[in-house]
Amino acid sequence: MMINRRHILAGTGAIAAVAGLGMPVVRAQAKPRVVVIGGGPGGATAAKYIAKDSQGAIDVVLVEPKDTFVTCFHSNLYLGGFKKFDEITHRYDKLSSAYGIRHVRQWANAIDRDKREVVLGDGTRIGYDRLVVSPGIDLRYDSVPGWGKEHEETMPHAWLAGPQTQLLRKQLDEVKDGGVIVMIAPPNPYRCPPGPYERVSMMAHQLKTTGRTKSKIVVLDPKETFSKQGLFQQGWERHYPGMVEWLGPKIHDGIKSVDPKTMTVTTGFETYKNCALVNVIPAQRAGKIAVDAGLANASGYCPINAETMMSTQDPNIYVLGDASIAGDMPKSGFSANSQAKVAAMMIRGELIKARTFPARYANTCWSLIAPDDTVKVGGRYEPKPDKITASETFVSKTDETAEYRKQVQAENMGWYDGIIADMFT
Amino acid sequence: MKALVRPIPGRASPSLALALLILAAPVQASSDAKNAPKGDAAFGEYLSGTCVTCHQVSGKATGGIPPIVAWPEDQFIAVMNAYRSKDRENQVMRTIAAALNDEEIAALAAYFGGLILQPDTKK
Repeated sequence: MMINRRHILAGTGAIAAVAGLGMPVVRAQAKPRVVVIGGGPGGATAAKYIAKDSQGAIDVVLVEPKDTFVTCFHSNLYLGGFKKFDEITHRYDKLSSAYGIRHVRQWANAIDRDKREVVLGDGTRIGYDRLVVSPGIDLRYDSVPGWGKEHEETMPHAWLAGPQTQLLRKQLDEVKDGGVIVMIAPPNPYRCPPGPYERVSMMAHQLKTTGRTKSKIVVLDPKETFSKQGLFQQGWERHYPGMVEWLGPKIHDGIKSVDPKTMTVTTGFETYKNCALVNVIPAQRAGKIAVDAGLANASGYCPINAETMMSTQDPNIYVLGDASIAGDMPKSGFSANSQAKVAAMMIRGELIKARTFPARYANTCWSLIAPDDTVKVGGRYEPKPDKITASETFVSKTDETAEYRKQVQAENMGWYDGIIADMFT
Repeated sequence: MKALVRPIPGRASPSLALALLILAAPVQASSDAKNAPKGDAAFGEYLSGTCVTCHQVSGKATGGIPPIVAWPEDQFIAVMNAYRSKDRENQVMRTIAAALNDEEIAALAAYFGGLILQPDTKK
C-alpha cells in the first residue's frame, strides 16, 4: 500500500513548530499514527499489539524491507539439522490482513526527529506521532583485526539470520573429518548471550552424527565467563568428548589477526592455520538508524525509560529489543517481545487514552545442547529508577535428569511456535 | 512437521487438555463452588501478554507448551496457585506465578476462561 505523501506532509507540517520543545505531541489529524521500524520480535509484536488493541483508532505502519522474517532464535537448530530453513522463515502478510497494518517494504534510511518523520530508501517521508525503533543489532566489522564485511562470505558471522545462516551450514557440511573449526565469540553486550555456545553444540552435533568426530571446534572468547557456562561445558564433555575446546582471554591472550585468504587465526598464544571453517561473531551495537538518530549513548546502545521503553533521548520514540539498554534483561527475541507489549500499551495510553498498567517484563532462553538435552535460563523483571531489574531468575542445573531435559526441549519447541503465533498471526 | 512438534488435535476439548495436565502432576482444584471466582477479564487481557509468548491465544498447542484457553476459572486458579506455592514443577511458571496476587490470577482465569478454543488457526 502506498503512502500518500501529500497527506503525510499536511499532517506533519502543523506540528513542526512545536516539535522543538521536546514534548510529546500529537499531530493535528484525525487518527494518530505509529510508525514501527523493523519487523523482528520487537517491531512485529509492537505493530501487532498497537493495531489489535486500538481496534482501528491508531494508524500503524511497519517499515520493513523484507516479505519474510528469518528468526535468529532456532537458527542454531537449523545448523544442527533439527529444523528446516523454511521452518524458521515467516511471512508478515497476516499483520496486514488481520490487523490493518500497512507494511511498507523499504529500508528506513533516517529519522528526522525534529519533523517527526521517517525517511525511506526512496526518499519518501512518513510522519509519525510515536515511533517504535526496533532495528536489532549492527555488526562492528572493525572489531576483529583482519576481518571485515568483505570477508563475511569466507568467514561468515551468521549473526543476522538469513543467507549467512545457510552459508554457515553449507561450510559446516563441507568440513572434513579432522578439520579445525574456529569460532571467535563476541564481547558483551551482544545479541543472544547463550547463542554462540548453543551454536557450538549444534555444530558438534552435526559433526558427530556424520562421523566426523576427529574434527574440533575451538572457541576463542574475549569473555572470562559466558551464559550457562557450566551447563554447556558439561554437555560438551558428555556428548562431544574431545571435540570442543573453549579458551578464555587469559589463555589465548587476545585475537591478534585473522587472515581470510589462508584461513588463519592468530592469537597471542597460538596460530590456527588452514582452518576448515572460521565463524567470526564480531562486537555489536544498536542498528545504525538508531545510532544515526542520536538515540544511542557511548555504549552503542539506546538508553530507555525502564517503565515504558521510551527513549531517554526523545519522548516520541520507543526503542525495543537488542538495540535498547534494557538493564538486566538479555538481548533476546523473548525480551524484545515482552518489551514490545509494554511499549504498545504505553503508546496506546498516550495516543488514545487507553488503560495502562505498571510494566512487567519476562524472558526465557532455551538452548539445545544435544538431542533432547535442553537447558534454560530466564526471569521476571520490573522497572526500577535506574534500570529494568531482575526480580526473580532461574537457570537449569547440572544434575537434571535426561527425562527432565527432554521436557525442557519440548517446551522450547512449543515456545517457538507460541512466539511466532504471537508475532505474526 | 517435526516429530517433536506434536499439535494437539484441534477438537481436543479444554477439559481433556486440563485432565492431561492434572495427570502429569496432580493439583487440587478448589472444592468450594460457592466462591466461584469472578476476575477482571480486561485486566487479565493486559496480564496475558506474558503468557501468550508461549501459550497460543488460539488454544493451539505444540511441543511442551499446553493450551490454557477456555479452562474453568477455578481450575486455572488452582493450577496457578500450585505454581506460586512451588508445589508444581516448572521454573518458568513458578517465576511467572510468584509475581501474581490473587486478583491477578483471577483476572487471568477470567480472560483465558472466556476465550474460545479455535479448532485451527491456519487459514
